[in-house]
Amino acid sequence: MRALVLLAALLAATPLPAQEKINRRIAIDSDASIRIWNLAGITRIIGWDRDSLAVTGTVPSGTFYMGGAGRGAKLGVERPEGSKGDLPATLEIRVPRNARVWVKSASASVEASGLSGELECSSVDGSVRVEGSLRLVVAESMEGNLSVYGPMSVVRLKGGGGTITLRGARGDLMATTVGGAILLSDAALRRAHLETVSGPVAYDGTVAARGTLEVITHSGDVTLRLPTEISAEFELSSFDGAILYGLSGKGKGKGEPAPQVGKPMSFTTGGGDARVTVRSFKGEIRVLKP
Amino acid sequence: MTCRDFEARADAYAEGRLSPREAAAFEAHLDRCAACAALLERAAGSPPGVAGLARSIEPAEDLWPVIRGRLASLGQRPGRVAIPRWGLAAAALILVALSSGVTAVLLRPAPRTASATLDVSALEAQYAAVSEDLTGALEQARSRLDPATLATIERNLRIIDTALNETRQALANDPGNPALGQMVVAAWRQKVDLLRRATALGSES
Repeated sequence: MRALVLLAALLAATPLPAQEKINRRIAIDSDASIRIWNLAGITRIIGWDRDSLAVTGTVPSGTFYMGGAGRGAKLGVERPEGSKGDLPATLEIRVPRNARVWVKSASASVEASGLSGELECSSVDGSVRVEGSLRLVVAESMEGNLSVYGPMSVVRLKGGGGTITLRGARGDLMATTVGGAILLSDAALRRAHLETVSGPVAYDGTVAARGTLEVITHSGDVTLRLPTEISAEFELSSFDGAILYGLSGKGKGKGEPAPQVGKPMSFTTGGGDARVTVRSFKGEIRVLKP
Repeated sequence: MTCRDFEARADAYAEGRLSPREAAAFEAHLDRCAACAALLERAAGSPPGVAGLARSIEPAEDLWPVIRGRLASLGQRPGRVAIPRWGLAAAALILVALSSGVTAVLLRPAPRTASATLDVSALEAQYAAVSEDLTGALEQARSRLDPATLATIERNLRIIDTALNETRQALANDPGNPALGQMVVAAWRQKVDLLRRATALGSES
């Protein structure tokens, strides 16, 4: 009986459309705008030194489209007729390095490498991973992880529950999450604004001269690992969390203030060239050596 | 970007006509230019350069009821459109003003004065109004959202609401504490931003 039920269920199930391989190519300008829609599966974007757009991959049959030339192009995977969900596709897309790329995803993971232009990516719960040295990265995912590796000029990241990770960040960064962590390593930012509600923040690196680092969190713990010789004005405040300062102060910031709770801590190290501000409601704030 | 450039591009920014790079430059200028931020803060929802809008109209008081009515009428129609483009543009405009004002408040070493608290109250009222509208729009879009996505949105909203309640309670106990006011406003900003993203997802589905 159970086998019959199973068989009936199998027969009633909507058959998955067949998959097809694609291999398409068009000529476009080196700084063209390219718009990509792939809601489920994997989207890989690779910058190359050719003035052309090349797409390979595997998609549900009859769902792939691509058009444009010169200044702009668009491509993507449509939801098959009668399908209630988005079927996964794998796209490998080679674009001119200096292109401006816009990507839309739902659950698809997005990986980009070798680009030097601009990338804007919006996802629901897919992860986004960017490597390279782009002028601009804008990425948003409600639940997926956002990872940015390399010295971008301007980065804007909005997460939700996923982790935001940056390695080798330079330039200008704004990153916000709700419950997700924000983790930076080898950072030397000119300007950074990091904001979470309950997610922790860990910043390992330095702040450029005359640069600013601002962290705002409700209950996430904040750990800053900064060079002992950093020249900065510090303003640390946690309404109901401890503040631990473990840098050896120089110049005006002699010695190390004792840990304290509920009282803001302001001091200057060196000439106070940079500005470091951390505000928390009940998270712990630690400023430590590397 | 100069202040004059900023004013000239405000309309285009609100309508989403700037390229990502121009938009980033616009936002960067907002964050680092105390004059423009202060101007926006004073305007409290009416950014400069919006030449097409009558200067006497305060969006929080006059524009949103119109948007609300429009949303309500659209919400009764079958179809996928939950928020018109101009509604989103107007919401973006208000968010820009709010964000800028908040950024100015957050970046300024505020003294423990009553006026700082009053500023927070005004911002709270603005955020609450926007939040209410966006929550209504999200309700209308609920059936179009994937259940897992909806669960994610609601989980994040609960986290933010908990933070908002805790900071508001603390501020009620210590109303002259500007740092607490800033935390309240930061929580509101997170809530409105999440709601905006959620309603955008709903209108795309």
